Amino acid sequence: MEYNGSAVMAMKGDGCVAIAADRRFGVQALTLGTEFQKIFQMNKYTFVGLAGLASDVITLSDQLRYKVKMYELREERPISPETFAHLASSSLYEKRFGPWFVEPIIAGLDPKTGEPFIASTDLIGCINFAKDFVVSGTANSQMYGMCESLWEPNLGPEDLFETISQAMLNAIDRDCIAGWGAVVHVITKDKIVTKHLKGRMD
Amino acid sequence: MEVLFGITGKDFALLAADTNQARSIVVLKRGEDRTVDLNRHTALAYTGDPGDAIHFTEYIAANVRLNEIRHGHEASPNAVAKYTRNALAGYLRTRQAYHINMLIAGVDKTSGAPALYWSDHLANMTALPFAAHGYASYFCMSTMDRLWRPNLTLEEAIIVLQKCVAALKTRFVASLPEFKVKVIDKSGIRVIDVKFEK
Amino acid sequence: MSGYDRALTIFSPDGHLFQVEYAAEAVNKGTCVVGIKGASCSVLAVEKRSILKLQSEHGGNTSKIKMLDDHVWLAFAGLNADAGVLVDKARVECQSHRLTIEDPVTVEYIARHIASIQQRYTQSGGVRPFGLSTLIVGVDPHDVTKQPQLYQTDPSGIFTAWKATAIGRSSATVRTFLEKHWTAGLDEDAAVKLAVKGLLEVVQTGAKNLEVAVMGSDAKLRILSTEAVEAVTKRIEDEEAAEQEKKARRKGAAAAQATA
Repeated sequence: MEYNGSAVMAMKGDGCVAIAADRRFGVQALTLGTEFQKIFQMNKYTFVGLAGLASDVITLSDQLRYKVKMYELREERPISPETFAHLASSSLYEKRFGPWFVEPIIAGLDPKTGEPFIASTDLIGCINFAKDFVVSGTANSQMYGMCESLWEPNLGPEDLFETISQAMLNAIDRDCIAGWGAVVHVITKDKIVTKHLKGRMD
Repeated sequence: MEVLFGITGKDFALLAADTNQARSIVVLKRGEDRTVDLNRHTALAYTGDPGDAIHFTEYIAANVRLNEIRHGHEASPNAVAKYTRNALAGYLRTRQAYHINMLIAGVDKTSGAPALYWSDHLANMTALPFAAHGYASYFCMSTMDRLWRPNLTLEEAIIVLQKCVAALKTRFVASLPEFKVKVIDKSGIRVIDVKFEK
Repeated sequence: MSGYDRALTIFSPDGHLFQVEYAAEAVNKGTCVVGIKGASCSVLAVEKRSILKLQSEHGGNTSKIKMLDDHVWLAFAGLNADAGVLVDKARVECQSHRLTIEDPVTVEYIARHIASIQQRYTQSGGVRPFGLSTLIVGVDPHDVTKQPQLYQTDPSGIFTAWKATAIGRSSATVRTFLEKHWTAGLDEDAAVKLAVKGLLEVVQTGAKNLEVAVMGSDAKLRILSTEAVEAVTKRIEDEEAAEQEKKARRKGAAAAQATA
C-alpha cells in the first residue's frame, strides 16, 4: 500500500457526486511519472478509483471493466453503482488470503433514480457506505481531516467541485508519496465534468 | 548495480542498457546484451535475476512472434507492452514470479510516434517520455527532467544519454564503462555506437 | 449401446478404419495442390478456392499457403476449418521449439509433428480425424546444401518425403503426370512450369485460379503475382499450340505422302 502512494476520494452532493485522485506514479520516494490513471469510468454514471499498488490498480481495473461489460451484456441494462460496489467487494474477497493491494472508492448515480452513491472498501472487500465522503490511499488521514472540515450537505456541482478540489490538493501537500497533480470528475445526471488540477511538483 | 535508460524523441525511441554482468562485488562478464527485440518496431531492455529475465523475455518474444504469425499483423509497442505486463502480473502471485524490471520502447510503424514503458518486477507499469531503471533512476531522473523536451532529435537524445552516464560516472560508486544502445524508428531497430567519456 | 462401439474410430472386421478413409475422401474433394522439388528450390502450386462474387477478399484467410515459421510453409487440401486448427498447433510448436531448443524446427521435424497430431486424432476418443493432407516446404536451419525440402502428411498420420507430388482433387492424375515429366535438377523456371502444367491437367479455369509459391535456398517464400502466373500459363499454352500445329503439319505431310 505504501509502495507507490496514492490519494483517492469521493463526495456526495445534491443530485451529483464527485471523485478525485492524484496522478503520481512512483516507487517509494522516487517519482517517475505524473500522468498515472487511478480513476476508471465503468459506465455512464459509475466511476471507480483505485488506491494502492499500481500493478494491481491496472490488473483490477481491467478485471472490473471486463466483469461490468459481461454483466451489462447479460442483463441488458447498466450496472448501478451500488451493485458495482458489491461486484468489486466480492472480486476482492475472492482473494481473501492473497489480496489485491488496492482499496477502491466507488462513486456514481443510480441509472434509474439518479440518486447519488458513494462507497469505499478495504483491500479484502469490506464495504463502507457513506452519506458524505469516502477517502482511500496513503494520504487518507490528511484527506479525512480536509473532508471533515470542508464538506457540507447539499452542495451543488460547482460547489462540490470546489470542495473536493481544495480537500484533495491540501491533503496531498502533506503526503510525500501522493500528489503531483490531480484529476476530478463531477458526475451529474446530464453531464460529466472532468478537470485536471495542477499541484505542487516537489 | 545494473542500469537501463529509455528516451523518446520526435520519431524514435532509444534504449540503453549497461553491459556489465556482475554478481555481488565481482564483475563476471563485460559485453552482456540485456536487450531483446520483440518485433520489428519494439525492443525491450531488462535488469533483474538473469535466469528469470532471460526465460521470461524469450517466452514473451516467442509469443509476440506467434501472435504475429497467427494474425498476420505486427502488434504495436503499446499492445506488446500491455501483453508483457499482463503476463508478468499473472505470474506475480504464483510461486514462479519472475524478478525482472523492464523498459519497453518502440514506435508506431505507420505514424512513427514513439512509446516508452517502464515496468518493475511487480508489473507496475506506466508510459513515460524518459525513464531509467536501477540506481540510475536515483541519479539521472533529475538529469533527464532538466534536459529532456518534446521532439528531441536523435543527436540531442544521445547527448542526454551521455550526460546521464557522465552523472553516473561522477557520483555513482560502480563503474559502467559500456552501454548497448538501440534506436527504434519507422525503419526498424538498430544498434548504434555511442561514445562515453572515459 | 454397450459402450465399446461409441468410439468414432474402430476397426472394421476386415481391418479398415472407415473414419480415416472418409477423411481421405474429404481430402480428395479438396482443391488440388502440387509440390515440386527443383535443384535449389521447392514449388507449391494450389488451385485457389473460388471467391464468390459478393465475398470480400480480405475477410478471413483466403490463401491456402500458410506460414508456419519464417523458413517453413504449408499448403493443404481438404477441410479449411480443420486446417486452421492444425496450422495453429504447428505454429505454436515452431515457436515452442525455438524457445526450448534455441533452434528453428527442421522440415522433417515439423512434418513428423503434424503427422503425429493427425495420427493422434485417429486413435483418441471423442474426436474425428483431420480431413486434411498437407504439403510442407522449407529449408533446414543448418543445412549446408540449403536444399528446400518437400514433405506430405495424410489424415492417417503418415508423413512422406517427395521429389514431386500432388494432393486433393484428381491428385492421382497429376501424380501420374509428374511421374512422367519430373526430372532431377530442375531450375526455378522449369519447376514452376512443371507445377503449373501439372495443375492445369486437372484445373480448367486458368491462371486467375492458381496460386504459385516458390521457396529458394534463402528459405524465403515468394508468392508469384497473378501476372507472373499468367505468363507461365501463356507460355504453356503457346508451347502446346506449337506442338499441336507441328503434329497437325506432320499428319498433313503424312497424308499428302499417302495420297501421292
